[in-house]
Amino acid sequence: MDLSLFLVQLLNGVQYGLLLFLIASGLTLVFGVMGILNLAHGSMYMIGAYLVYYFTTVTDSFFLAVVIACAIAMIIGIIIERFLITHLYQRDHLDQVLLTVGLIFIFNAAQGFIWGNDPLGVDVPAILSSSIQLTDIVEYPVYRLFISVVCIAIAVAMYYVINHTKLGMMIRAGESNRDMVEALGVDIRKLFTIVFAVGVTLSALAGIVSAPIVSLVPGMGERVLISCFVVVVIGGMGSIKGAFVAALLVGIVDTFASVLLPGMSSMTIYLLMAMILIFKPQGLYKS
Amino acid sequence: MSDYILQVKGLHTLYGESHILHGLSFDVKRGQTVSIMGRNGMGKSTTLKSVLGIVKPRSGSVLYKGEDIGSSPTWKRMRNDIAYVPEGRGMFHNLTVKEHLQMAARKNSRSEEHWSYDQVLDVFPRLQQRLTNKGTQLSGGEQQMLAIGRALLTNPDLLILDEATEGLAPLIRKEIWDVIRKIKQSGVSTIIVDKNIKVLHELCEQHILIVKGKVIFNGDSTELDAKREFIESNLAV
Repeated sequence: MDLSLFLVQLLNGVQYGLLLFLIASGLTLVFGVMGILNLAHGSMYMIGAYLVYYFTTVTDSFFLAVVIACAIAMIIGIIIERFLITHLYQRDHLDQVLLTVGLIFIFNAAQGFIWGNDPLGVDVPAILSSSIQLTDIVEYPVYRLFISVVCIAIAVAMYYVINHTKLGMMIRAGESNRDMVEALGVDIRKLFTIVFAVGVTLSALAGIVSAPIVSLVPGMGERVLISCFVVVVIGGMGSIKGAFVAALLVGIVDTFASVLLPGMSSMTIYLLMAMILIFKPQGLYKS
Repeated sequence: MSDYILQVKGLHTLYGESHILHGLSFDVKRGQTVSIMGRNGMGKSTTLKSVLGIVKPRSGSVLYKGEDIGSSPTWKRMRNDIAYVPEGRGMFHNLTVKEHLQMAARKNSRSEEHWSYDQVLDVFPRLQQRLTNKGTQLSGGEQQMLAIGRALLTNPDLLILDEATEGLAPLIRKEIWDVIRKIKQSGVSTIIVDKNIKVLHELCEQHILIVKGKVIFNGDSTELDAKREFIESNLAV
């Protein structure tokens, strides 16, 4: 592998890793704060992608479609938390699995019903459709850089909110001692609704920004969900910092494995997970 | 305006099958400091938790400032200017001392601020040195100071302290009692669960003894003196 190819693969790996972080951070946030294991988290990725497809065709503007799709994803998140997840707080993880797997079936059926099962695509917006010349023969698409920038911006914003705002302190306190947060006069139900809605919107946003570089197919949500679980387990359940490090690790390893070890690329991230769990059974950053 | 900040009537609270509170009643006048005494397992903490809605009584009523708050969730009761320092202090392992205080700070429901961040640190100079430590890295005494400081920053009208000085070194206890005296002077109504009858006698206007989920003594410090032996026999292990 020459240097320019290496560079392109590294950029691809980082970009994929950042995207995984966007999805995994929502999953791990909801798990860490609320103790809810949301298996329908991947479905929100799919919903985001299909929504942006739909609204791009309707409005003829990708960026407007992004805003609308995010808003709808957030509303879906609020509805799911208020009407369904709210019944699960006192129950164990198995009940959570039953309900959220049920949601996967509902979302997949809805997707098939509304958009059909043929692969769909979203055009890269014209303003981001060019490429950057890395070397004489290698170029890198601007849109992929755009995805990375969006993910980094979200990561920085999350870091700031969680570490430096009162809302962030309440969220962390909720992770540590839920009853005490309530005993300080914080409406924990509202806090949970916010966390859940933001968590699923992050997943939807990942689907939204990747829509122009993937094909929209049924089952796309489940595929990312599994990679996402690998990230969350490697990073440490509930740790956002862990999710960030693990997502980059998984993104880079997965990308290079598919170039260097095409025969066994599909299992490399699981090998990586197994190796890390041998030395760090709780993941890299135990929450 | 009701003369009473808190009126508890006929509370029956159960944990599963076990009946903890048996028709427990007591009142707290505005501005008073009231002690609740009793051996472990007699229902003191359950009484406080029932008042706050952390556990739901099967029957009975809780009136706060004359209004029945029995159906409000805990957080709403606290928003009406009640603060709680739980047994075990309720520290957050992932928040620093400074963050514990910042996340709790708010004006009371009348938009008044009697306790500011700086005032709380003035009262607890020990916390000043530990601002960047995590809540659970503190000693027991420091944790209790932080829990009280955090409660004060919500600017309460009623402060509820469960096991105010339990398990603390004598010197630290003294500091905590001194602060509770200051809180009393500021006019905040306070309920203190503790076993130190000597300090409570001097500090509180009213004393309540709970045995097996019932109030078996309720009186002022003079009445406490008259029945001192009886009460002490009910506190001895």
